[in-house]
Amino acid sequence: MKTLRILYVLARADFLERTRRYSFLLMLALVVWIGYLSASGQFRMRVPPDYTGMVNSAWVGATMTVTVSFLLGWVGFYIVKGSVGRDYTTGVGQIMATTPLSRPLYMLGKWLSNFTVLAIAVFILVLEGILMNLVLGRASFNLLALAAPLVLIALPFMGLIAAFAVLFESVDWLRGGLGNLIYFFLFIAAMAGSAASTTLGAPGVTVNPFVDFAGWQIIGDGISRAAQAVYPGATGGFAFSISSVPATKLFPWNGIQWTADIFLSRLFFILIALGLVMLSALFFDRFDSAGLAPMKKQMKKQVKKQKLSSDLAADAGIAALPVPPAHLTHLPAGRPHFRFDKLFMAELKLFLKGQRWWWYTIAIGLVIAQLLSGLEATRILLILAWIWPVLILGGLGWRESHFDTRQIVFSAPRPLLNQLPATWLSAFVVIALAGSGALVRFLLAGETVSVLGWITATIFIPSLAFFLGTLTGSSKAFEALYLLWMYLLTQKMSMFDFAGLTPQSPWFLYALLSLVLIALAAFTRQRQLRSG
Amino acid sequence: MKLSISSLSKQYRRDFWGLRDFDLELGPGVIGLLGPNGAGKSTLMRMLATITRPTEGVVLWNGVDIVKSPDILRAVLGYLPQDFGVYPNLTGLEFLEYMAAIKGLDARSARRRIEELLVVVNLVDVAKRPLGGYSGGMKQRVGIAQALLNDPQLLIVDEPTVGLDPEERVRFRNLLSDLSGERIILLSTHIVSDLEATATEIVILNQGRKLQHAAPEKMLELLKGRVWQWIIPSTELPALKQKYVLSSAVRRADGIQVRVVSDSAPEPEAQPIPPCLEDVYLQLVTTDGTH
Repeated sequence: MKTLRILYVLARADFLERTRRYSFLLMLALVVWIGYLSASGQFRMRVPPDYTGMVNSAWVGATMTVTVSFLLGWVGFYIVKGSVGRDYTTGVGQIMATTPLSRPLYMLGKWLSNFTVLAIAVFILVLEGILMNLVLGRASFNLLALAAPLVLIALPFMGLIAAFAVLFESVDWLRGGLGNLIYFFLFIAAMAGSAASTTLGAPGVTVNPFVDFAGWQIIGDGISRAAQAVYPGATGGFAFSISSVPATKLFPWNGIQWTADIFLSRLFFILIALGLVMLSALFFDRFDSAGLAPMKKQMKKQVKKQKLSSDLAADAGIAALPVPPAHLTHLPAGRPHFRFDKLFMAELKLFLKGQRWWWYTIAIGLVIAQLLSGLEATRILLILAWIWPVLILGGLGWRESHFDTRQIVFSAPRPLLNQLPATWLSAFVVIALAGSGALVRFLLAGETVSVLGWITATIFIPSLAFFLGTLTGSSKAFEALYLLWMYLLTQKMSMFDFAGLTPQSPWFLYALLSLVLIALAAFTRQRQLRSG
Repeated sequence: MKLSISSLSKQYRRDFWGLRDFDLELGPGVIGLLGPNGAGKSTLMRMLATITRPTEGVVLWNGVDIVKSPDILRAVLGYLPQDFGVYPNLTGLEFLEYMAAIKGLDARSARRRIEELLVVVNLVDVAKRPLGGYSGGMKQRVGIAQALLNDPQLLIVDEPTVGLDPEERVRFRNLLSDLSGERIILLSTHIVSDLEATATEIVILNQGRKLQHAAPEKMLELLKGRVWQWIIPSTELPALKQKYVLSSAVRRADGIQVRVVSDSAPEPEAQPIPPCLEDVYLQLVTTDGTH
């Protein structure tokens, strides 16, 4: 009973802390938007090439389930991840570490809090589904058909996402941006694998629900069979896309045929989630900083030695150790003028500092590879080269709040006009250098659109990073959005192509958007400066 | 060189003011700010450092409104906040170079100034090591160094000796004394002995209002002949606490030596002793009607 009480208090405090954050409101807005697009048919499930279900409660519920699995499975991880990290940075963790609180209980509390946040999103979708169904009134309303896939499929999947967030936070090197990066690629690979099943709707073949973590195969198999019943020519399969064109080849679908296996499989995934939480407890260092990097350890030793000598001095009585008088020569009477080049170099150093030799080696390797490859390969290498500095780009716009240097940095003269351009320019230079090989290739090949797109991208990327960092006070929004965006570039989706990699790239729109983003970042920073 | 503060107020919520109708005229010297937690010291300092905008009132630096023209003051301002961080991947030296660039110092002045400051704050040996490995006291000394980078005319230091060992505290006091001649230094601290050693003026705040502003000598005069000391049995201590404000209670072999403020001798055996700043501070804060 006492354990349950501790668990409840732990999860409640963490949950309340999150719900009072700006990012929670952002998540709610995202969920409402997801719900609207799903219920209005803009997010669309299909049986390839273009067979679509008639809109009814079951179809809306399943579409919402697929949408929420994809979007909250991806963004939700970034939204809920960070609560263990917060206990590290705020120092609350050190206080917790001195209590009898066990590792599994702590991790379970964090998981419960993560899960509650994501579960709220699912329940908002249920409510929105009901509302949309009543407003649109296109089919008779069936609450069970609408809510069952969300509750029985999406909810356990959210439990799994919540557990992955806890697992990533329990491992030191996965806690930061590298973990965000790894999760993105793992998630995309897992979802692509789940959607790419070739046996959906095949005669005599049934889906194994125990490997279908997101439930896409259960839904995909059901709609494939429903499509084949009306259109015998349909070969089956499952696709999910955004579309505003009215569907023509419609078929009725009355929802998932629930079986005992499906129920058991969803319970199985909740157990897997709990297993991951227990695994996290094994990795979790319980806020013990003894596992520091060797350099830090060495430094600690030296500090300890120094502290010992100073403590000894203190013990001997400070009067016995006369402190030499401290003198400073005055600066020249005329106050020096601001030098942008000096600040730019300082910002560049700060931007790149902390990267190891292999980081530079890979960056240079990518530039050389761009120079030596064919044009198509160069475009892919350019995307990789621009993904490479994602973790340092993620620090733009919120570094001062992250490291708590706001007060000393913002009390310097003209913090907006001096510092913001220097910081932005340092990121621009890094992006330009990272893609310099491709620029040379494009120039030599006379690829005008690619050159213009390249220039746009070098302006757009730092502007987007700066804007999102300033607005959200975190690197997560940029890291999540940027990685997805770069993934869409590899899929050659023209409307997202800010870099001129496809012939239909609307690069000029992104050039304009870059200017808007810079202006918005400056406006947000100005407001932060004014509010103190 | 003059800092004029008039009717300065900061409202955080509808029913809560961090600072209310605060007036002060300051010239060169070390001005100590004393007050309990939540008195408004940090709020005042943040507004003077141009970080926080006042809700009401005016702050003039040599006649210029710093809310309208903050950069005039920022060019000659050194600020050490109560809580601040550093960039862990930069070395102490690199961080100071970065701050020098932000403050607009030219390379030669910055280099010389940083070299001197590293000596002054006793960080020469660790200057080329990443800040991520510094102890709390070492980070505090980096903070002190960055505040002094531009040879500020107005130096605002909020709890500067927190985390410093006794030797470094003495070093910092000496530094403040050396610097105080030709600039305004605003020093907030809970350590009254730090102020006794350095302050030329003291301001006592409570609940967002100014209770007293005077030179230390004048403050001590307020309680002249009103501080008493004697020894009582330890069993009488709770009753005495109910009756008087205790400045100190020190256990001795023959009982507890107590020190209280009272207009007349509290007990026949009580002896009058010279007041100290701690007596004045406690008396003012505890007898303040709003406390």
